[in-house]
Amino acid sequence: MPDTIEKPRPASPAPSGGGDGPREPKVEKPNTEELLKRMRKVDPDQAKRYRQRTGE
Amino acid sequence: MDIQFGLETEIGISREDPTGIDVVAESIALVRSATVPGVRAKWDYRDEDPHQDARGFRVDQLRQDTDEANYFAQDISRPLSFAEIKSDLVLRNGARFYNDHAHPEYCTPECSTLRELMEQDAAGDALLMACASSLNATTTNPVRLYKNNTDFLGHSYGCHENYLLARSLPWEVLAEGIQAFLVTRQIFCGAGKYGWEDEDRFLHPGFQISQRSDFFSELQSVDTMQRRPLVNTRDEPHANPARYRRFHVIIGDANLSPFATYLKVGTTARVLAALQNGVPSHRIPRLADPLGALQSISRDTEWKWRVRTAGGRTVTAVDIQRQYLELVREFAPPGPVETTELINSWDEVLTDLEREPISTSDRLDWSAKHRLIEVFRESEGLDMEDPWLRSLDLEYHALDRESGLFFGLLDQGTFRLPFPELKGATADFHPPTSTRAAIRGGCIERFGSRVVSAQWDAVVLQGESARITVDLRDLFSHRDVAAGLDVLRGAQRPEDLLSLPFAKVG
Repeated sequence: MPDTIEKPRPASPAPSGGGDGPREPKVEKPNTEELLKRMRKVDPDQAKRYRQRTGE
Repeated sequence: MDIQFGLETEIGISREDPTGIDVVAESIALVRSATVPGVRAKWDYRDEDPHQDARGFRVDQLRQDTDEANYFAQDISRPLSFAEIKSDLVLRNGARFYNDHAHPEYCTPECSTLRELMEQDAAGDALLMACASSLNATTTNPVRLYKNNTDFLGHSYGCHENYLLARSLPWEVLAEGIQAFLVTRQIFCGAGKYGWEDEDRFLHPGFQISQRSDFFSELQSVDTMQRRPLVNTRDEPHANPARYRRFHVIIGDANLSPFATYLKVGTTARVLAALQNGVPSHRIPRLADPLGALQSISRDTEWKWRVRTAGGRTVTAVDIQRQYLELVREFAPPGPVETTELINSWDEVLTDLEREPISTSDRLDWSAKHRLIEVFRESEGLDMEDPWLRSLDLEYHALDRESGLFFGLLDQGTFRLPFPELKGATADFHPPTSTRAAIRGGCIERFGSRVVSAQWDAVVLQGESARITVDLRDLFSHRDVAAGLDVLRGAQRPEDLLSLPFAKVG
């Protein structure tokens, strides 16, 4: 399984010289604590009880 | 011709305590709770024919016909008419909202720009959330809506895309040309899933980048519910069949991230534009095993996405996408600024996916979901088999601003948006002004009480002495739509529309 936010994989070095090459993307870090609180409220068995009919 | 497009999204529906719920009844109740301006129970089903195949024949039976018959037998025992079960609502923005068997389904109106599509898709989400809120005001067991594609037990439901194309593009060229693109585009438009499935069963835990890729087992067919095909051959143009075809794409995931929807529809439309403009056959990427590649890409835990080409070379899904990007640059006709920005975004996301896939979590659903849930998994010490992960996966898709995990991320500003000025926009339910949806929606708004029937390609109004048909089958030029809108704005009664070249008595 690939690494996670906690252990980001080493990224390729950004190109030097300020040319037109790809730039290292800047990714906003989520406010993990707030989201963890929201996630802890999720019933662990919610998906087990989720039943749908096949659709298109 | 310009390619117009739209989305039709089936929504998962449940209750906080789902014990004993009837999902059909829940879906009907939800659709009927809508209070937005529109016309009810006027959808014209008479000319719908999902058995017509784009390869030039009509199938006698769809694989789902038996299921459909069984569902119909169950539904006929309900104390509701067919129209009440369907509960069709045609909205003033030209959209359709109805119960599709057991799922509320929102179909956007036809759009000709990605910005329009973003607005109309957001309007659908707002509509669904308003319906749930309305129902939940009077219950202690709230309705829960999920914009996803699975119940993790092998029951999938779709988010279909529609692209209006010139009939002059031969079906064989279209189907061959788009196949490898559809197989590989999941690297940026997959919604991610904690679990592997097969039809009607859960297989085992594990993350994959797509919700839908477990459910495709044919290269081409007209079916949509069983043994689903990579390329759907349904030939139901909802337009003049001599001039147009509607390319019906059923392989896509339902996206929460606007950026993912933007890339999904935008890049597909540009590839179709390139094919329509004449890409040489030898330039089209081909895969040795498209069906195998669809699953292996989705399930690849290393996110390398290697595939074998028909020529025997091993390349990556990013390589295939880059080939399509080059074909678009070379063969698709130039477009407005929006198109240039789309191409740049496509290029950028491919670069990021190749270098550091998780860096796309500010744009893409699968990487945002994975990043978020893995933080939780580590903080709670959960292993990959823990069923809680599937519950969190489900909650990512919840159409609920307070509890949904996607909306949690969105409200924190961690998602890049293709049109930032639309952020937080509320649904105003106005149609796109550039497509025939403006005429359909205008008829609904101005003459709602006089609507006899509505379809994608026609609205029939009751005049004082006769019915008046507003025929939309050939209405795809912006100029004709604008001229029609001028007449519609000044019309006091349905008869006033008869000055339109596409309106007639009868």
